[in-house]
Amino acid sequence: MVVPRTDFPILNREIHGKKLVYLDNAATTQKPKVVIDAMNNYYENYNSNVHRAVHLMAGEATDSYESCRTTLKNWFNAERAIFTSGTTEAINLAAHAWGKENLRSGDVVLMTEMEHHSDIVPWQLLADDLDIELRYIPVKEDFTLDLEAFDASLDGVKLVCIVHTSNVLGVRNPIEYVIEKSHSIGAKVLIDAAQGVPHKQIDFEKSGADFMAMSAHKMMGPTGIGALLVTEEIFQSMRPFMGGGDMIQTVTLKGSTYQDNEHKFEAGTPKIAEAIGWKAALDYMANIDLEAEHSRLVEIAKWTSSQLEDLGATIYGRYSEQDAAVVSFLFDNLHPEDLAHYLDAMGFAIRTGHHCAQPLLERLGVKGTARASFYLYNTMEEAVEFIEAVKYVLEKFG
Amino acid sequence: MNEALEEILDEFEEIEDRMEKFEFLHDLSDELNQLPTEEWTDSTRIDGCQSEAHVKVWIDSGLVQFRGGADASIVAGLMGIISIAVHGQTVEYVRALQPEFLARTGLLNSLTPSRSNGFRNIFSRVKIAIGE
Repeated sequence: MVVPRTDFPILNREIHGKKLVYLDNAATTQKPKVVIDAMNNYYENYNSNVHRAVHLMAGEATDSYESCRTTLKNWFNAERAIFTSGTTEAINLAAHAWGKENLRSGDVVLMTEMEHHSDIVPWQLLADDLDIELRYIPVKEDFTLDLEAFDASLDGVKLVCIVHTSNVLGVRNPIEYVIEKSHSIGAKVLIDAAQGVPHKQIDFEKSGADFMAMSAHKMMGPTGIGALLVTEEIFQSMRPFMGGGDMIQTVTLKGSTYQDNEHKFEAGTPKIAEAIGWKAALDYMANIDLEAEHSRLVEIAKWTSSQLEDLGATIYGRYSEQDAAVVSFLFDNLHPEDLAHYLDAMGFAIRTGHHCAQPLLERLGVKGTARASFYLYNTMEEAVEFIEAVKYVLEKFG
Repeated sequence: MNEALEEILDEFEEIEDRMEKFEFLHDLSDELNQLPTEEWTDSTRIDGCQSEAHVKVWIDSGLVQFRGGADASIVAGLMGIISIAVHGQTVEYVRALQPEFLARTGLLNSLTPSRSNGFRNIFSRVKIAIGE
């Protein structure tokens, strides 16, 4: 069952006088009314700071905020869930709070050419500070990771950072293999799950990963909040890098002691409304058959990619069962930026550019692609309309 | 504002359909004095565009000269508008010209400088070339 379009107020708006067809879901997803209402309800009825004051509203706010953490831990089967501003901050937190404490000069951090900038730049910055070595697993012609190269690159590796699902290719990586192999040599594994969690309820503990980073806004929650899931072992080996209120037990002028729960990594007033919105999104997702929906969306992506290919496009993706419904493509005779503007004029929202994955684009030998990404509220009819719109643009400007 | 620029801005204002605006913009790329790709260098490149965009601006006998090229048709069209706005005009005239006139075309989805298809960056290049 497609989630009711009416659950998403924004989908009723018009774009340049045309019906909106939103196909930029890999950038951010739209929010169901229950998420917006939950956040409004907090601001309208019990806006208060959390964890401290004894008054009623502070108690309500604290319970609602912490219930997001509980829901999150249950949803992902994780021992520890640290709130961050999103995937980027989650990975930076891992780099600062764990990397600085546990990596030494000469240690290797292994990444992939497929990583989003948010899973490359924090480690490059850390390398400047710690003199660690960075290696990258190449991407093959078939858009998958070169696992032989991965196997051959493990010497000295202390941390493997791998994107669960590529935001450009939609390819879902063999994280199970990577985790098993990495653990066999004693390396930890960080999963950038920003594009994975919107489509699948990942069991963090079962996956065996040590860290998992995500953003709420890619899974119908608000912007401004995400999480870093970590194992208890990792949690105990991390040192706070942001100090301030809410994360301390005692502060004296000689020194401070820290909370022993996740709060120790969440200095300052946290993202209260955002957490409440995220919980509403997770509750909403709990009523959806994600597996069935994912299969439906991959079928739509597969159909869309084959239609685009018939129209002469080069396709960057493969659409296996577990891949995301992301269609990256290019036409020789039509610049993606032009296409995106023309499509926008007809009500279609797609993304163009390097998608914050410049090393991957360089590997593919292109400067950017056009990308249509589908989510739960998208339909086959919209894909058909999209293809008709692309045909129209090609006839006019191609 | 020169007469030719006034005319095309009036034309844009008269066109209601956005797709037709783009068709008109597409035609304006023909107005551009082309900078051949052989002359595209790092110094002609406009940063901040998704497309490859290159311009060359210089002053000849007190008049601003503008040539440009881009691999995206819309960017080439925007360069066409800038060409109409500045090419062959006096330095004083171009100095007084502000990029806000583009809003009259109704082409911009966002007024944030970084989201204006590199238009502002191209326009800034003109301003720099005339010593502003």
